[in-house]
Formats: sequence, C-alpha cells, structure tokens
Amino acid sequence: MLPSKLDTYARKAEIGAAWLLGKEAESSSPLKEAIATYLHAAGIQAGYTFFAPNVPSHHRLTLELFYGDGHVEYESPRVRSRAAALRLNSLLDKLPEKRYEPIREVVLKMLAFSVWREHPDVQRVRATFDAVNLPSITEFEHGKTEKLEPMFSFDFSLRGERQP
Amino acid sequence: MPSPNLYADADLKLSLPHRSWHSFLGFLFPSENDTWLTVFRIGLGLQVTLYAVFLRSDWHYLFASSGKGLVGRELGDAITSFESPLIPKFGWLVAVGRTLNISEETALTLAWVGLLSAGCLLLLGLFSRPAAVAAWFVHLCAAESGGLLAYGADNFMTTALFYLMLSPLPDRYSFDHWVTKAKPKNPQALGFWRRVLQVHLCFVYFIGGLAKFLGSGWWDGSNLWRSLIRPPFNLVSPDLLVQIKYVLPLLGISICLLEVSYPVFIWLKRTRRIWLGCILAMHAAIGLMMGLYLFALVMIVMNIAAFGVPDTRSRAQAA
Repeated sequence: MLPSKLDTYARKAEIGAAWLLGKEAESSSPLKEAIATYLHAAGIQAGYTFFAPNVPSHHRLTLELFYGDGHVEYESPRVRSRAAALRLNSLLDKLPEKRYEPIREVVLKMLAFSVWREHPDVQRVRATFDAVNLPSITEFEHGKTEKLEPMFSFDFSLRGERQP
Repeated sequence: MPSPNLYADADLKLSLPHRSWHSFLGFLFPSENDTWLTVFRIGLGLQVTLYAVFLRSDWHYLFASSGKGLVGRELGDAITSFESPLIPKFGWLVAVGRTLNISEETALTLAWVGLLSAGCLLLLGLFSRPAAVAAWFVHLCAAESGGLLAYGADNFMTTALFYLMLSPLPDRYSFDHWVTKAKPKNPQALGFWRRVLQVHLCFVYFIGGLAKFLGSGWWDGSNLWRSLIRPPFNLVSPDLLVQIKYVLPLLGISICLLEVSYPVFIWLKRTRRIWLGCILAMHAAIGLMMGLYLFALVMIVMNIAAFGVPDTRSRAQAA
C-alpha cells in the first residue's frame, strides 16, 4: 500500500537494523551472542504485529494411522488444556514459514510420535498438513464452509522404532 | 538561598542543545511515587500464577525431552542455543538436576512449583526482588525451551517481568516494606522505569497499528471476521458476527487508528483516559471473545501500570 519509491529506503532501513542487531556478524561472534541474549532476556527478539498486516491462515495437521490389520484411523496431536492448545496451534501456524523448513519434518515426526505412543499397534503414520481457507462473510452467508488446501505430507514408518 | 527565578534565568542562558538535553533528562527521570509499581507487581503476580495454573496439566508434556513430550524440549533448546548459548533454558535446570541425581520429571516439577511460588510471592510482595528474578528466569526458560510453542503473550510476559525485576522493588504496599520498614525508593529511579515501560508500549502499539494499516483486511473488516472465526479463537458464533457485519470495517479502522495514534494521545492529559479506556476495552474484548486470557491480562496490567495510575507526586508538586 505504500508508494514503491519507499522500497529502497525500507530496504536500507532493514539492512541497517540487521547490522545494528548483529545479524550480519558471524554465528560465533560474542557481540552477536550478547545482543541475542539481551533481546531474548527482554522479550524483544520478535517484532510486534498483533495479526498484522493480515490475519494468517489457519493450519491443520491430520495423522492417518495405518494398522497391521489394514484398518486406518485419523487422529490429531492433542493436549489437555486450552492454554496448551493455543501453543500447539501457534506451532502449526509456524511450520509453513520458510525459516522453519529445515525442522519441519522433524517436528511433524515428533508430533506423529506423540500420537503413536497412544496407539502402539500402528505400523505407519501419514502426516498431512493443510492450510485451512476460511470463508469470507459473504461466502459464509451463502453456506460455504472452510476449504482445505494440502501443503505437504510425510510418511513415517514406525516398524523399526521401539515404543518407550 | 537563590530564588527560583535565578535558575530560570540560568536556564534561559543555556544553549539550545543544553536545554534539549535537560528536557530529555527531565523526561527520562521524572519524579514518581511507587503506586504504579504496586499495580505492576500485583498484576504480574496474578499473571504468573495463572500462567502456571493454566499449564499445570500439560507442563511435563510440553517441556519433557524427546520420546516423552509433545515435540521434545531438546529442539527448542537447540534453536535457542544456536541464537546464543547464554539464553536461559530448561536444559540448564535438567542438567543441574542430573548432577544432583534428580530426574528430569522432578526437575520440571520443581521449576513449575518455583514459578507458581514466585507468582504467589509477587502477589503478596514477599521477597519481591528474588521472586521477580525467579519468575522472569523460569518463565524465560519455558518460553525458550518451548520456543516453537510460544506466542505473543510469552514475549510480553518476558518483557514485563524483565522490567519488574529491574524496577526499584519493594514498593510500600508490599509485605517486604511492612517487615523491613525500608526507606522509600528514589523517586527518579521509579520514574525512569515507569518511563521505560511507557515508551515501550508506545513503540508496540505504533508498530502494530502501522503494520495493520498496510493490510487491506483491516480496512474492510475481513481481518476482524477472520480472527474471530479462526480456530481456536472462534468463541463467538459466526452467525452473531454476520448480524454486525456492517460494523466490522468501522471497528477494524478504529483499532488501527487507536494503535497508531497511541504514542500521541496517551501523553495528552485530555485524551489519556479515553485512549487508555479504549485500549483496555480492546484487550478485554480480545481476552473474552478469542480466549486469549493471558495475553489480555498482561497487556491490561502493563497499560494500567504505565498510564492508568495517576502520578500523585507530580500532582502534589503542581499544586
């Protein structure tokens, strides 16, 4: 929405801020570590957006549990309290971000493993990650509901794993 | 004794940079009493206590190591260590526990008990400073070890506890003050930490408001609709929202204006109460309509401590 003339200045400001926060320094730089420690200690390591500029998409993880006798069950990772459910939801919303790509598979495997512990007879788990497109007000008034858009899926074979 | 006019004359003789510097120092170190700190301490004590109580049933599941918990604490610890090995994390507490032959489960239980106790002590004002440091430390460990599971409320809690820990505790309404009969704290130190909190909030709302203005969904109300029907925040029936659909664009724009203009109108005496009232109402609505109770509470506490408590010392001086 801002004029494109401001792009150059915005980029320069971004580079300046990154330099100021030690982002350009080597990973083992004591200065970078000191700045990072202060930012985390003061809780200011992330920007404040409050659902800005737009409300991000909602995401859903479905786990297909394949049993040895051929039957399939559908599950999702679960927590007990609402406070923890908010955190699980926050985790799922982070996973599509590019910066979390390197750990995406590991996180999904952990989540699948947390469900597998409650279903020891399962041999294979397929984790499917969907973006949930919510209807607009007009679409809702016309009876439309949410639409699932598959983003990625992983198959985890658990035959070689030992249950704890 | 020199008359006040002498100082005024001397002040007039100062050059513009000197006068600006004096004004800046006056802004940074105003004379304050500690009523705001009492509100801040009690509010954060309640916040920390509720945080611990709300997460009680899932505490071990969220922060246990791989194979026992939801995602495994090691992943959060590793990401944090990559940023800096000096950032506190539960891995430290578990490692210390291991040297004392304490199991991981017991170490995590002790951390939870420590956090709950720190919250209760802050509420009472007993051992205020150690309690504030302990609450900040254990909460930071939780926020960092469960970094992937953290959300906005955690950042604000860390910030608030960080400022509380550094503020001149204890305040005069605390048990500490009643027991030790400590002298009143330096009014300028009290003023400085309140000022830090005030300026911090101004940055937060200004950036938040500005970023919202860049999103088209805040101009037509669709972002409000999406945020209110989005699981797990969908506590209000969509049918009810449809009935007020013409109000949503107005509310969306009002929120943007309220946030972006906060750093101006919160300082003006005539508009302070209105802006503060609107911001508190907004956070109360977020808490009640979206179920973000901890987020709402920490924002309300920070706002009331920063701008909601009248500065009686300044008023007395003015009188």
